[in-house]
Amino acid sequence: MEDLIKLVKTYRLSAGLAERIRLAENIFRLIEPDLRVFVFSSVSHEAAKDALQEILKAVATSLKQFKGETVKEFWAWCYRIARNKLNDHYRSKAADRMQPTPPEDLWQMMELSAQDAPISPAVRHDLDYAIKLLTAAKPDCSDLLWRHYVIGLDYGEIAEERNVSYDNARMKIGRCLDEAKSLVS
Amino acid sequence: MAELSQRDQLALHEFSVRYRAALAKQHQTPEQSLDTVRDAVREQYEQEQDAKRDMTIEPSEPTPEREPDEPDQDR
Repeated sequence: MEDLIKLVKTYRLSAGLAERIRLAENIFRLIEPDLRVFVFSSVSHEAAKDALQEILKAVATSLKQFKGETVKEFWAWCYRIARNKLNDHYRSKAADRMQPTPPEDLWQMMELSAQDAPISPAVRHDLDYAIKLLTAAKPDCSDLLWRHYVIGLDYGEIAEERNVSYDNARMKIGRCLDEAKSLVS
Repeated sequence: MAELSQRDQLALHEFSVRYRAALAKQHQTPEQSLDTVRDAVREQYEQEQDAKRDMTIEPSEPTPEREPDEPDQDR
């Protein structure tokens, strides 16, 4: 991920179109998978395809204006753009907002992944536990746990997303984890 | 507050990795995404070039303001 910030900094300094396109392709090959998970976890899969393209376009267009110096700052900036775009989307199409994914649908995803990496009995047991943990709590809690443990947003990013303090986000996630664990065990 | 044991963390990590892999398999559009990015970069570049051109092409002498039309004598 150190390479990512080097690419972004080089992009900011590059003047030629061919060079910019080459750098942008490399940057987006690195960030597209994580942005994809973020978007597909936020809106219905049907709506997510278009939303992802809009977000990629917005990030690419603004890339020269990114002022940060670290990978962490770059990701926070990318997620901020993604959130703003998704908020616009929510306002226009409330029905597309992502509903909690039922466990059986998550298992279908796991089986799909098994085509390339077979699931051993021990891993299946772990996945079963993880799915229960992520789906057992109330929707708001499940969403928080999903964003932290699956998308990988840190406390600061979740705090910004929810407009709460860092400690508030950390404690809320802790409480949600308590709730989920008590329901699973 | 609950703490995640190492096994819990590994289970969630395994799930996250597999979920990403399945999502990539389900929606394979990297070429479409790269096309979007290339178009956006090109568009941005052209806007910058246009802006530069507008800044360098300055009139050599101030353009006189257009004289108001003479009132029509026949009217």
